[in-house]
Amino acid sequence: MKPGKPWKGTMTRRERFNAQMHYLPFDRTVNMEFGYWDENYTQWDIFTENGIKNENDANKFFAFEPPKVLGVNLWLAPGFESKIVEVKENTVIKTNWEGILLEEPKDGHSSIPKYIRSSIETPDDWKKVKEEHFPRFDKSREPDYAYFDKTASDERDYPVGIDIGSMIGKIRDLLTVEGLTYAVYDYPEMVEDMVETVCTFTEDMLDKVLPKYHFDFASGWEDICCKNGPLVSMDFFKSVVYPCYKRIGDKLHKHGVDIWYMDCDGDVRPLLPYFLDAGINCLFPYEVNSCLHPADLCREYGRDLRIMGGVDKIQMIAGKAEIKKYLESIEPLVARGGFIPFCDHRCPPDVTPENYLYYLDLKEKMFGLK
Amino acid sequence: MSILTEISELVQKGRAKEVQALVQQALDEKISAKEILNNGLCPGMTAIGEKFKNNEVYVPEVLIASRAMTKGTDILKPYLVSEGVEPAGKAVICTVKGDMHDIGKNLVKMMFEGSGIECIDLGTDVDPQKIVEAVKETGAKIVCLSALLTTTMINQKSAIEALCEAGIRDDVVVMIGGAPVSEDYAGEIGADIYTNDAASAAAAALAALKNI
Ligand code: B12
Repeated sequence: MKPGKPWKGTMTRRERFNAQMHYLPFDRTVNMEFGYWDENYTQWDIFTENGIKNENDANKFFAFEPPKVLGVNLWLAPGFESKIVEVKENTVIKTNWEGILLEEPKDGHSSIPKYIRSSIETPDDWKKVKEEHFPRFDKSREPDYAYFDKTASDERDYPVGIDIGSMIGKIRDLLTVEGLTYAVYDYPEMVEDMVETVCTFTEDMLDKVLPKYHFDFASGWEDICCKNGPLVSMDFFKSVVYPCYKRIGDKLHKHGVDIWYMDCDGDVRPLLPYFLDAGINCLFPYEVNSCLHPADLCREYGRDLRIMGGVDKIQMIAGKAEIKKYLESIEPLVARGGFIPFCDHRCPPDVTPENYLYYLDLKEKMFGLK
Repeated sequence: MSILTEISELVQKGRAKEVQALVQQALDEKISAKEILNNGLCPGMTAIGEKFKNNEVYVPEVLIASRAMTKGTDILKPYLVSEGVEPAGKAVICTVKGDMHDIGKNLVKMMFEGSGIECIDLGTDVDPQKIVEAVKETGAKIVCLSALLTTTMINQKSAIEALCEAGIRDDVVVMIGGAPVSEDYAGEIGADIYTNDAASAAAAALAALKNI
């Protein structure tokens, strides 16, 4: 298998990204994908035979052009020390870097851990963890200015975004889905303080970088929905999380950053009006199976909503005919603008390499330079 | 408001401590455990399940209600045993091999228990053989298989095959669910019932038990 050739084009990567996301004329779609599961690197022959060991290798191999994202540490500093708590016959119980107590197989034959408990269940737990792991001022919260200068110079010809992190998704990780649910119910002030803490880190960072650099977009991550809708209480989301988005959105807009994409799987429709109102105007990598066909969603929200992703992985698993039919179904959206198509999450190993290559070729044929 | 209606409302609001206290009070007032379960706790869970099905509430509200219901049933358990209350049926429930996602499975279990179906919960990452053994051991008439990954859905099929090989496929109703699973897929792998959410799953299970 020969490495992929860069797609032909008549615009720079930066011009293209901005034109496509702002509904202006563009030469062809941005050529990008959102990576793979770990298993793909050991199971896909195109990867093993070509020495592709990670997403970076794959992006180079296929000549993808993903936008760059810069950021600072907006989370634990330092992380928890991983500690073994108990050694059982076939498993060990230990804490991970986020302080979660988990059980995993001793011989490492499977990477699946079973989460037992979060280290934060009560306000006292949070008080301690906040003091020890969430300092407002820390070296890791400082931008690496030399790297920012080099990567985000105004002369660049590729798009660069700023990572605004997560207001609730990472807190969900820290508390677990059930833990977050119970905490919002039992100790709402505690969770509010957690959200406020990460929002402050984000604002501090934006105050440092927004006056100095011209970003093309902002990127965020939440993963706070499943196929039955939000995994966080709507009341809490509206009263605590949404105002934080607003604060961040206002800062971004003041500095001319008007594209903000959010990585949130599942059925996001209940949250979407709040996202849009705060300035989050793009879903990434919009997951079709747990929500709607992108055309239906776009019909509802028109040009206010952009989509990156939105190629149904279930169809990519199904086979060539299904892939073709699916890509045809999104053709008008790609032509309209505000839609950069790619697999709607990390591509799972049950998509065959053959079907993946077919998909990439067809994507270029349909959405490449005409 | 009668104490049972109050229990039902408190379950829906997820007020675990108050549910606990009221269940105890109801027992003290000599209301039978069966009645508290059937006319207090279960209707509360069914109501929240119905709202969940209609997208009026989401997963957090159901989890909170489940927690409250569990607190109530914990108190009732010994009384139910001494009253000799029979469950509406038994179900073996698990997340299939290779898959650790259990929130959806746990919700299905809660809705089943809220409908009076006893659940034998095998946990996550479960071997097909273990499912077969559990069915044989308990005589469960329903088998629930949850899968959240496109890579593990196939193990719902393996589980059904194991039931076939053991010659007990026709003794049970196989239900499947989970984010990537669909009605079509259920047909493809020979499952009997697919539902999109936990409340519909409990209703379908009750209907299936009536037909057995
Ligand atoms: C929470 C979560 C996790 C948690 C799980 C915690 C736990 N205790 O369960 C953690 C962090 C551990 C996790 C791990 C992983 N996850 Co995960 N996870 C999720 C997430 C965000 C929500 C799932 C959830 O709990 N939903 C809430 C419940 C209530 O919904 P539900 O399970 O669908 O159940 C409802 C119905 O489906 C139905 N139902 C469920 N089961 C059954 C059974 C029957 C019989 C019936 C009738 C009905 C029924 O009733 C339920 C209630 O109505 C989803 C995102 C998403 N879009 O769904 C990803 C998601 C499922 N995960 C995903 C992935 C990739 C992973 C990992 C592989 C990531 C990794 N690389 O490590 C690992 C896999 C570990 C493993 N081997 O299982 C992918 C799967 C993609 C794919 N190709 O299949 C998803 C879709 C995210 C995404 N968009 O890519 N995950």
